[in-house]
Amino acid sequence: MNGELQRTHLYDWHKQHGDLVPFGGWEMPVRYSDIREEHMAVRNSVGLFDTSHMTRYVISGSQAVDFLQRVTTNNVRKLAINGGHYSTCLNEKGGVRDDLMLYRIGEAEFIWVTNAANGPKIHAHLLNHAKDYDVTITDRSRDIVMIAVQGPNAMPLLSKMAGKQIDYGRFTCNPVRLAGYDTYLCRTGYTGEDGGEILLLDTPYGDEGNAKAIGFWEEILREGDEFGIHPCGLGARDSTRLEAGFVLYGHELNEETSPIEAAIPYAVKLKVEPHYIGYDTVYRHKKEGVSKKRIGFVMIDRGIPREEYPILLDGTQIGVTTSGGLSPVLKTGIGMGYVPPDTVKEGDIIEIDIKGRIRKAKVKKWPFYDPDEYGATRSQ
Amino acid sequence: MTEIPSDLKYSREHEWVKVENDIVIVGITDYAQNSLHEITYVEINEVGTTLEANQECGLVESMKASSDIFTPLAGEIVEVNSKLEDSPELVNESPYGEGWMFKIKPSNLDADLAALMDSDAYREYIESL
Repeated sequence: MNGELQRTHLYDWHKQHGDLVPFGGWEMPVRYSDIREEHMAVRNSVGLFDTSHMTRYVISGSQAVDFLQRVTTNNVRKLAINGGHYSTCLNEKGGVRDDLMLYRIGEAEFIWVTNAANGPKIHAHLLNHAKDYDVTITDRSRDIVMIAVQGPNAMPLLSKMAGKQIDYGRFTCNPVRLAGYDTYLCRTGYTGEDGGEILLLDTPYGDEGNAKAIGFWEEILREGDEFGIHPCGLGARDSTRLEAGFVLYGHELNEETSPIEAAIPYAVKLKVEPHYIGYDTVYRHKKEGVSKKRIGFVMIDRGIPREEYPILLDGTQIGVTTSGGLSPVLKTGIGMGYVPPDTVKEGDIIEIDIKGRIRKAKVKKWPFYDPDEYGATRSQ
Repeated sequence: MTEIPSDLKYSREHEWVKVENDIVIVGITDYAQNSLHEITYVEINEVGTTLEANQECGLVESMKASSDIFTPLAGEIVEVNSKLEDSPELVNESPYGEGWMFKIKPSNLDADLAALMDSDAYREYIESL
């Protein structure tokens, strides 16, 4: 980490109401009250997250589609206007430079949302490859605020703020006016729950823009009161994504891991033209197999798994964990990690070496919660 | 404001000790529980375990991180606070009371105690962090 930590538009509010920590070069709230309470608000009612530390590029130009198809792995040509999809950006070896959300807001205009810590790396990569295309890349992180509203009550709340029923489906991105503020409402998220990620437009960083952002944030909290809203920090952001089984860059994803190994097949397509950077590795991994595969597990014995703990099968190490923690829903330890393919299957018993304590766990496909009870597809 | 009782001794790893007759009670300080926040799990080595001073002898998990527990004194663990198995939050609520962690029968009490800080020295120590 070099230099000072960056701050989002909402910093003053976070400082007043939350506990701040450094994260990916940013000074961000880890919690406002209690991580489990915030976590359960997302599962049972609605949670509000400042995600403005993520980097947002607007990518436009007559060759924007060709360019994006070269540097990302999902099918950009099939992405509808006002649609969004999850994707990855690979290196030449097929390892993940970053994962991202791509939203198409016009025929040749896209918004790319990338991880906070990877912003500079991705910007350099995009500029390097953009030289060959008629395309413009603009970092708009400083004049668009990003706020996530997640949970079973998120859409009723946002509909109330819009003054009409919002019936845009999941993975769409549309202009919506919320309580008088111009936004793009992206029907996406990182918690497993229904809801949206809101792009608050025309909000340049500075006294006026920050006051506007805080005004919008407080308006959501005010109108969300009857829906049981809680502001949520990075602690609940991590615990909800872990419980949903979502990958996190630097943990499940890195430059040495392909999207097939990471078990995010929905982020990669093979029938695309031109072939993207890293395509050959993805093709080979999909057709011929991989040497490691991401798995999930739930603790049977006591103990909380964390990253970089050995995974054992019958006492012999077969892999390493990449994330772990307490599941507030299950009230037990859960985690993810990598093992060689076909060594274990759903329901098999493995062991986790928790600082020298060998503890039993069961291999479990994500999400770790019961999808009939929690998450975007729960029974109504 | 961090609570630092004056009748206890303190380690640099933020454990406190209280001598009661020939047994020493060990826990973590108010400063430690406040830094960890939301303690979700505590595990201490079994009764009967013999330890050197400053040896790792357990762990405490918060929602964000895992931390090791060290014994400030050499000796044998004679009791572990079994209430923490179901109620680890007692460490947050009452770090110097119901949230105590283990009792040890010391084997080198005077020398080990001499190496620990009193409340004034511990206050200065945490202010320097």
